[in-house]
Parts: sequence; structure tokens; C-alpha cells
Amino acid sequence: MGDSQYSFSLTTFSPSGKLVQIEHALMAVGAGQTSLGIKAANGVVIATEKKLPSILVDESSIQKIQLMTPNIGVVYSGMGPDSRVLVRKSRKQAQQYYRLYKEAIPVTQLVRETATVMQEFTQSGGVRPFGVSLLVAGFDDSGPQLYQVDPSGSYFSWKASAMGKNVSNAKTFLEKRYTEDMELDDAVHTAILTLKEGFEGQISGKNIEIGLIGTDRKFRVLSPAEIDDYLAEVE
Amino acid sequence: MSIFEYNGSALVAMVGKNCFAIASDRRLGVQLQTIATDFRRIYKIHDKLYIGLSGLATDAQTLYQRLVFRHKLYQLREERDMKPETFASLVSALLYEKRFGPYFCQPVIAGLGDDNKPFICTMDSIGAKELAKDFVVAGTASESLYGACESMYKPDMEPEELFETISQALLASVDRDCLSGWGGHVLLVTPTEVQEKALKGRMD
Amino acid sequence: MAKALADVPPKGGFSFDLCRRNDMLVKKGIQLPGFRKTGTTIVGLIFEDGVILGADTRATEGPIVADKNCEKIHYMAPNIYCCGAGTAADTEAVTDMVSSQLQLHRYATGRESRVVTTLTLLKSHLFSYQGYVSAALVLGGVDVTGPHLHTVYPHGSTDTLPFATMGSGSLAAMAVFESKYKEGLSREEGIQLVSEAICSGIFNDLGSGSNVDVCVITKGKTDYLRNHQLPNPRTYVSSRGYSFAKGHTEVLSTKIIPLKAKPEVAVVDAMEE
Repeated sequence: MGDSQYSFSLTTFSPSGKLVQIEHALMAVGAGQTSLGIKAANGVVIATEKKLPSILVDESSIQKIQLMTPNIGVVYSGMGPDSRVLVRKSRKQAQQYYRLYKEAIPVTQLVRETATVMQEFTQSGGVRPFGVSLLVAGFDDSGPQLYQVDPSGSYFSWKASAMGKNVSNAKTFLEKRYTEDMELDDAVHTAILTLKEGFEGQISGKNIEIGLIGTDRKFRVLSPAEIDDYLAEVE
Repeated sequence: MSIFEYNGSALVAMVGKNCFAIASDRRLGVQLQTIATDFRRIYKIHDKLYIGLSGLATDAQTLYQRLVFRHKLYQLREERDMKPETFASLVSALLYEKRFGPYFCQPVIAGLGDDNKPFICTMDSIGAKELAKDFVVAGTASESLYGACESMYKPDMEPEELFETISQALLASVDRDCLSGWGGHVLLVTPTEVQEKALKGRMD
Repeated sequence: MAKALADVPPKGGFSFDLCRRNDMLVKKGIQLPGFRKTGTTIVGLIFEDGVILGADTRATEGPIVADKNCEKIHYMAPNIYCCGAGTAADTEAVTDMVSSQLQLHRYATGRESRVVTTLTLLKSHLFSYQGYVSAALVLGGVDVTGPHLHTVYPHGSTDTLPFATMGSGSLAAMAVFESKYKEGLSREEGIQLVSEAICSGIFNDLGSGSNVDVCVITKGKTDYLRNHQLPNPRTYVSSRGYSFAKGHTEVLSTKIIPLKAKPEVAVVDAMEE
């Protein structure tokens, strides 16, 4: 690979204008488990696969969808440990904002703060870029919002998006299924159907995770039993 | 002498029906000597949000500059004006940061919120917020202002009546305070317009 | 030491850059202003299913009543509340800070906060400031290990008690508790006794006054009874108040600035690359 002589340093551009370490980070995301998010008219849903390396792992001990504030949830594709660092920093940022203004941090602000951290890790000494992309789902005064943040620190607002192993299939599927006036329940169904595409093995409440937020502005992660109910509706 | 008495000041804000008024005296003194008779203590943050800073004038102006800086930064970052409640929390945080070496200022904040709900608030020099539904006062004339407002204030006043009430409360109070007076500034803010008036008062 | 020129948002912690100037003023014989105090009667007790906290609602600045209906029972966690006495800004700041730390701790652990955790965070902050952060607190809550009630002193020492009082009205309130408290009070008896203790503070201590706030914390449920009793309603104002004729005040100049309605801006998705 011609670029590899430029991969010794995180901050050296290759002659073609790329930062190869960031591209490698995106590869790590692309190899990660599939996650997706859909913005409905009255809320947002995010979902992810939860495939475990061995059947001996206790699946109830692992949570991939996490809360950043009561009204903002996040899911990652890529390296789990890296996401923990980001979630911890973002939660702290959200609390700092709250302590200064006594007002919940808007989704856009939190996403930008998170993206800023990710950018800093592409340019600082002694660190490497994060091997994760994040999907951030929140509901604030500007309505339901879905953002994707990438290792480079760039972020986008989406109506529906996917990332990880099955991106292209999942995105094509979402493009076909997505409508603007979708209700939250329909969005959950679509999310499950999208995950089912290219899911290896039998889908169940134990090997996927779903988090959603509606007009009550309380983000919550569904229990396996609740997911099973949704799965029954889809079939 | 208390440091609040160095320059002298009187500040008051009152809530009316979908409107508010904030008023101050116009004197800047150095102890008993009068330096200026057209001094401004009420500063604009944005169209519907004002802050009055009583106490030591030098600290008031420094604090105001910092507040404007922080508010402009917020406007650029969030592409919106600050809500009065949010701004009050910011002022409180800035003051408490200097808990052990405070600015000698007692702010009065008044603004119209999103649905034109009036908001008024005051705090001490280290940022202990006091939210009131009716009126708030600050400065060397605060004791007489408490008395005047407590008896003159009525809930749900229309803008014209609110202006008369706050003006009379201010003028009556500064007449019993050597360190403030020389007329007053009144800002009357309704959802559609801001009226800025200068009041005539005693000149002794 | 080089100080950043730009006034960037603070990273937290106190700033001491005005201390030297302020000390200079003191040496010149100038008096520094007093801060707003809560005056205060705050109490708490343990009853059969949990904890009840109580507070009056007067804030004072020297001899002046600065706020007739302030809130002294602060939120720490959904299952933990804290009454504050002392300098108003300090009680507010210390409880806000700890409640924020608890929220982060809950996210990290995924469990309900414990009262002892709260207690430790509070006392370690107060101890490190050697009593200069003057907050006297009554901390109460129900967690996985049951109901707890603590008092925290400004220097960072703490007590664990079945019933507690703090603030300038603590003696008046303690007199009520000492004579009437017993173990296993029912909810109604508990609220009644707390209200009585607060009222004893309101009527016998000049630093306390106005209304009674109560907070009842039981397993899985918290009831914040704001202004549970209003023993001091306003009676002296005439219902009509004073009226001033329009144009009564002499005005030197008037400037009218019309406010434009904000133009609706089309929402553009934030995109950055």
C-alpha cells in the first residue's frame, strides 16, 4: 500500500491528502457490529446488534446503548472500550453545561462537544483516533434529533442512518422504508426489520438492543422482554 | 463605611402583565461628593433582557463586560438569545466563582422569556439567586425601596400603570437616601416595544 | 504566572484574583458587605417508612428579610434531599455540585445513589475549605440500606441521628422534637411534628419566618410539599393598593424602541466536515 509509509504518524498527510490513521479508524468502525437510528415524527429510535464472542458471556452484563443525559442516548459501532471514554467525557460535559446554565444541554451542543473531543484525538500527541462512530438520539426544544459522529470529528444530522458491518445493506433498506410522517412505533418496527436484514442467526431480545425517546423526552433502553414484544409484532 | 456606599445606587425591577420595568437612579458619587448625574447602571443584554448592577461602579462595569462577552459567545455558539433564567444562572455562576474575593455588585436581572413571560431576579454579591414574582430591589436605597414597593406594588399592572408605580417607588425611596438620586432611568419592556424614560427628581 | 488574556469559560474552582484588592480595601477601613443568609430553621426526622425533611422559607440579609418565600430543601438525587442553612450561595452551590457528581456516579454505576455517598461528598468538600464554605446541612434520604438522616456542619463534621435540627432556629425546633419525638411515627404524625418544629422556629427565631416546606421521602417515592403550611399570610395590604394617575411622574425624555418580530429562519441541518 503506497500510503503505508505515511501511517507512521497520526498527523502526517499522505500525498493524496489523506490521514491514513483516520481511514483505519473508519475501517474499525466498518468492521464493528451494525447499529442504526431512525428519526420519527414524534421521537427517535436507535438499535444495535449485540453479538457476543462466546455463549458463555453473560449477556445481561453488557449494555451498548447508554444515556448521556436523561433526554439524550447514544449507541456505537466499533471498539467498545473507546466508546466508554467518549460517553464519560460527554456526560461530564453535559453536567458542566447544566451547572452553568441550570438548563439541559441541547442535543446539538452535546454532539458538537463530543465531536470536538474526537477531533482533538486526531491531532494530539500520544493518542490515537477513536475506533468508534456514534449515533446520538435526543429530544429537546428543537424536536427529535439524530446525529452521527465519526472518528474524524465530523458530525451529521440524519433522518435515518446506519453504521458498522452492514452499513450499505442497512442504508439501502432504510432508504426504501423511511417516510417523513413515521410514528415512533413504526420506527421501532423498521429498526428491527433493518437489523434482521443480514442478521446471522435468530434475532431475539437478548442479541439486539433498542433505545428510544418520545415526546416525554425521557430516553430509555428497552428490556429484552419489551424487545421480544416488538419482535412478535413484526412477525 | 461599607463598600456599597462608595458610589451609591438604587435599583428596582417590577413585573406587570406580560411586561416588566427596571429602573435605577442617575447619580454616581464618590462617597458624599457627586461625580456624575447621568450615570447608567442598567445594561442591555439583548432586546428583552436587561441587567442592573448596583454597588461598586468599577466592579459593575467589569462584570458587565464579562457578561456581554459570555452572552455573545453563547449567541454565536447556540444561534439564539439567552433566556432570562439561563442568564441569571450564568451571572450567579460568575459571581460564585469569586466567592472568596467577590465583585462588590448586587445585580438585578429582568427579562421577557420565550412566551413573553416576565422574569425578574436579584442576587447578592456571591450569586445567591432570589427569584421573585413581584419586585426586586438593590443598592444603598434598598431598604426604603423595599418599603415603597411593598406598599405600592399591585399584581398584573398594565404598562402605563407599571411605569407610574415603579417611578414613584424609586423617587420616593431615593429621597430618603443621600447616596442615590438625581432623577432616574426607567426601562419599560413589553413584547412589542421598549420605552426608555428619564425621570426628573430632586437635585440635592 | 502568565494568565490567559481571554476570559474563557471557567474550568471550575474558585478564582482568587480580587482577594488582594479586597484585602487592601479592608485595611483602608472599608467594610465588606455581608452575604445573603438563610437565617433558617431546618429539621429532619426518621419515621416508620422513611425520612421527613422540613424548612422555613425566609432569607435574610442582616436584619432585612430578603426573600419571604425561598426554597431551602435542595434536590440531591431522586431519593435524597438536603436542607441548607448558612450562606445562601454556599448551600446552593455545594448541593448543586454534589447532586451533579451523584448524577454522574449513577450513570457510571447504574444504581440508585446512597445517602452515605452524598454525605461523604459533602463533608469532604466542606472539610477541604476549612469552614469557609459556610453551609450547615440536614441530609435525608432512603436508599437500598434503608432510611438515613445526617447533619453536616460547615467544617465537615457530621452526625447520624434519628431526628435533627440546624440553623438559627435549631434550638426552638429541637425543643419540640425532644419533647414529642418517638420511634415509629406514622407519616401523618411525622409531617405534623416536622411542621410543628418548623413553626416553633418561625415564631420564636427572628432569622426564620414565613411558610413551612416539607419533603417526605419513602422507598421509591418522594413527595415535595412546597408551602405545606402558610401560617403568615399578608393581611396588611389594601386590596386596591395605591393608584397613580397616568402622567403623574415628571418625565424628562422618552425614547421608544419598537421590537421587531424575529424573522423565521429556515432550519438548516448542521453539517460539518
